[in-house]
Amino acid sequence: MQEKVKQIHQESLEEIKNASNLEDLQNIRNKYLSKKSELMSFMSQMKNLSSDERICFGQLMNTIKEDISNKIEEKKKALEEIKLKEQLEKETIDFTLPSRSFSRGSKHPFSAIVDQVSQIFIGMGYQIAEGSEVETDEFNFELLNVPKGHPARDMQDSFFINDTLLMRSQTSPVQAHVMLSKNGQGPIKIISPGKVYRRDDDATHSHQFGQIEGLVIDKNINMGNLLSTLELFAKAMFGEKRQVRMRSSYFPFTEPSVEADISCFECGGKGCSLCKGTGWIEVLGAGMVHPNVLRMCGFDEKEYQGFAFGIGIERVAMLKYGIDDIRKFYQNDKRFNKQFSKE
Amino acid sequence: MLASYKLLSKFVDLKDITPEEIENKLTFAGLEVEGVERLAYASNLVIGQILKVDNHPDSDHLHILQVDEGKKYGVEQIVCGAPNVKEGLKVIVARPGASLSKNNVKINKSTIRGVESNGMCCSLLELGVDKLFLTDAQINGIEELEEDAVVGNENVLEYLGLDDTIFDINVLANRSDVLAIFSLAKELSALFDRKLTLPEVAKYDEVPTNIKCSSETTDCPQFSIKVVRNVVTKASPKWLKEFLMAQGIRSINNIVDIGNYIMVLTGQPIHMYDLDKLHSNEFVVKNDVEQDVVCLDDKTYHLEKGDLVVTNNNEPVCLAGVMGLSNVAVDENTKNIAIESANFKGSTIRKTSTRIGLSSESSAHFLKGINPKQDEFVLDLTAELLVELAQANVVEKTSRYNTISSEKTRIECSVDYINKRLGTNFDYETITSILNKLFIETIDVNHNMFIAIVPDHRIDIQCDADLSEEVIRYVGFGQIKSQLPLMVTTVGGYTPSQQKRLNIRNLLIDQGLNEALTYTLISPSDNEKFVLLNNDEAYQICNPMTIDHSVVRKGIVSSLLDVIKYNLAHQQQDLKFFEVSDVITKAHHYQELCVVLNGSNESRGKLESNKYDFYDIHGIFEAIMNSLGIEKNRYKEERLIDSIYYHPGRTTKILFGKEVVGVCGQVHPQMSKDIGETYVLDLNLSALFELKVPQTKMNQVSKYPSVNRDLSLVLKKDILSSDIIRVVKKAGGSMVKNVEIFDVYEGEHLEKGYKSVAISITFQDENKTLVEKEINQVVDSIVSELFKVLKAELRK
Repeated sequence: MQEKVKQIHQESLEEIKNASNLEDLQNIRNKYLSKKSELMSFMSQMKNLSSDERICFGQLMNTIKEDISNKIEEKKKALEEIKLKEQLEKETIDFTLPSRSFSRGSKHPFSAIVDQVSQIFIGMGYQIAEGSEVETDEFNFELLNVPKGHPARDMQDSFFINDTLLMRSQTSPVQAHVMLSKNGQGPIKIISPGKVYRRDDDATHSHQFGQIEGLVIDKNINMGNLLSTLELFAKAMFGEKRQVRMRSSYFPFTEPSVEADISCFECGGKGCSLCKGTGWIEVLGAGMVHPNVLRMCGFDEKEYQGFAFGIGIERVAMLKYGIDDIRKFYQNDKRFNKQFSKE
Repeated sequence: MLASYKLLSKFVDLKDITPEEIENKLTFAGLEVEGVERLAYASNLVIGQILKVDNHPDSDHLHILQVDEGKKYGVEQIVCGAPNVKEGLKVIVARPGASLSKNNVKINKSTIRGVESNGMCCSLLELGVDKLFLTDAQINGIEELEEDAVVGNENVLEYLGLDDTIFDINVLANRSDVLAIFSLAKELSALFDRKLTLPEVAKYDEVPTNIKCSSETTDCPQFSIKVVRNVVTKASPKWLKEFLMAQGIRSINNIVDIGNYIMVLTGQPIHMYDLDKLHSNEFVVKNDVEQDVVCLDDKTYHLEKGDLVVTNNNEPVCLAGVMGLSNVAVDENTKNIAIESANFKGSTIRKTSTRIGLSSESSAHFLKGINPKQDEFVLDLTAELLVELAQANVVEKTSRYNTISSEKTRIECSVDYINKRLGTNFDYETITSILNKLFIETIDVNHNMFIAIVPDHRIDIQCDADLSEEVIRYVGFGQIKSQLPLMVTTVGGYTPSQQKRLNIRNLLIDQGLNEALTYTLISPSDNEKFVLLNNDEAYQICNPMTIDHSVVRKGIVSSLLDVIKYNLAHQQQDLKFFEVSDVITKAHHYQELCVVLNGSNESRGKLESNKYDFYDIHGIFEAIMNSLGIEKNRYKEERLIDSIYYHPGRTTKILFGKEVVGVCGQVHPQMSKDIGETYVLDLNLSALFELKVPQTKMNQVSKYPSVNRDLSLVLKKDILSSDIIRVVKKAGGSMVKNVEIFDVYEGEHLEKGYKSVAISITFQDENKTLVEKEINQVVDSIVSELFKVLKAELRK
């Protein structure tokens, strides 16, 4: 009997070793360890043995049972590992194939600049005022100290609708609207971004382009306040190290009038191709609001003073993003527009 | 404007001041120098004389010259190809090592076809002189120098008058005064604190005149004539030719050149009439002449009422301020001249000049504004030159018509005002001494207040603010100290609708759309297409540049469809653009949003893409309404079946009451033949923004389990799924939390005209766990209601 049991034990170990999958292994377990199995049937024959033999045979049976069970478990683990490994291998992918798009689209560079400038001035307590692109001659010119026949009208060849209406040639008329709405009471702190129109078309001029007008009016506003405001803007827009310098210029609605240059952000002021070797880049026009404008727009020019500035939107975008032709803003070539997805 | 350094230094001491210093100073003082150019570029030049001319043995056009270059260099052999070489000719020689012209052409010793050549004989063209100022002979050959040229002289550019530097100044509208070299010299003398020497006019023994001047219009407040007799027309002297060339003006003859020279110096355009061609001694300026005239350019122009005209004997003799008429023009036989110096209103000149399409140096000066008080000086100076350079021997007294006051402009100002405006701390002495240097006299009132007396040429200075600018531009804006405004705190920020617009733009961008920017001015034909949000009349531009940009758009859809077209033409696919823009018509002004989708959503490139369809564009619409908090019950959506621009089966219009605030759907296949299937969302954003939406309030989430029941229905094909959901919700009451469509089927096993729709209903109660019996009751009533209202049956 012992011999028979040992032989079965050997057979079972052989079978376990050869099992190639978990199903076979389960069958082996049933074949050798289930109560009805041949091996287990020897347990019922134990009662015919002497007590010493029974103890001895019992121990042998237990050892064999345990050994088969352990071997099956070991084999099971090994087979499971192989199976998992196969699964993982099978599931391995080419991680360089295209991913499913979850990307942002893109802001237009024009509105990217408008949004950035707006944020900067909102942070300084400004509000955003908007006007109409179809304006009256009165607001576009006359209230801004440009009466009919004034030579400054030559600076801006405008699109007229009739004698009194035109496509606004600047965002400055918004100044006049805001001032008149305040009934002579300051303070005013606004910027006004928007589209403007002039009869002009080449690589640096488009018949439609954008401006951001700024206006601050209060009782003690001076030229130094304008300078510091422009400095804050330049640093926020073009970097902490930027400086601002002002040159005398002319706009009918400001006096004194200046062109403001910022130190070149490409070369830091040493001189490069962007700043044409001068170290400075012209970015905006500004000045102290002309007393005639204050008076015509309902403010007492003896009591109030103010400053105004005008920023070219495309000009800033062209500088900041290195865009070489203003017409690209209006072509909307997907390959161009897409480049501004992080703005 | 162009300004010659040499001409300026004739009137202001510029010794040791470099062109770079002038450029810098003028630019910061508001006269932006856009260019600084030397008149000629050359080094290592010497004046030589050709001693001997031999033909080159190996060439039919080259000559071998022996050129005497003076004591220092002796005689050199030069091979030269110019046709005008001859023995005895004095020439400009560029010696080996010389560099010529802006492009830095180097001259070296060389061997030309076997013959040694030590330098080059030059033309003025090769020295960088513009062709405009040269004759054909000068362009094709070497320069033939005058007899007075000294052989061996190495200061050749000085001898030629080409040792000059030209400033190109961008004169802004307020400083038309510096179009006069005299005024620019004044400016420089002030800025550099240097001595100014303007010419004093010598007084001749003038004889009385019988000329009479008058004007019938306030557009000509001043008109003066001076007669000069017995002039001789000839070539101008070398110095005058040189100055004109430096100023970019071609020399004609002494008479014409004097006129141009006077305009360059004084900024006053003058006009000369041949006195013997005039029929009367009376000049009258009129603005009511209507007839054709022939101008100096031999072209005919039609005069209309309002045009300023100088008349003589009731006949037009000059298109005032623009151009003279040919029948009274001076010519080489002219003996006696009537010189005009007048003041014509710029805006009137502009109107005439624009209408007839004729402009001149003269009209350009009047447009910008001239010094109104210098006519007598100008005429005296002109007469003096005509005496000096054209042998005039009779000068008559000036005949003047003048209504302009000779009073100078006086401005009351104070030191405090200037400092308050500039944010500076200048004292009385500083401010007044600056103004004085700028030729503005000051009268002290109380050592704070003062009265400023403005010189005649500064027509731009009219008020105290102008004086503050004079002070700061003189000392430089670098003197201004940066100081943030001290004022009450203001709340900055977007208005609610600006914030909403930003949110929607960000939503669309975050969802992968590209923002576009298109033109407001479009063509009239495009402006009639795809405009469903208004029925208005468009604004038309009366002076468009092209028909393509001649009306103000009533909607932005066609512009966005052009963007699709452009990109398809440039091989771009998967197009998803949007734009937000103001739309202005005669009746309305609102903000419009347009989204366009074309092609396939290439979510994984070509590997995985889905054609855009109605549900993509409508999903965008729903996302926008959701982000604005506009619930479905606030608006109606109906099929848009009567537009030629949209697919009748795949488009909806969005309504607030009766007002159409949006269109969502597919472009009509007939309209999109060239671009393929395209989807459009067109919304009146302003209307959406104006709708009041309630404050967000939390709803309790039920803690009891929910139960789902599925129903499969058969019903007529044209019944909308939204109707099914509405009926289910109404019949089911508050227990129904959600209704989802999970299958729609048409075709086999179903009667024609019918479809099968499978829905899943979610039931839930806030206060208890629902039991089977309750749910069954509700489902029964839903089923019977579906049958009653929609004739929907359960699918067997």
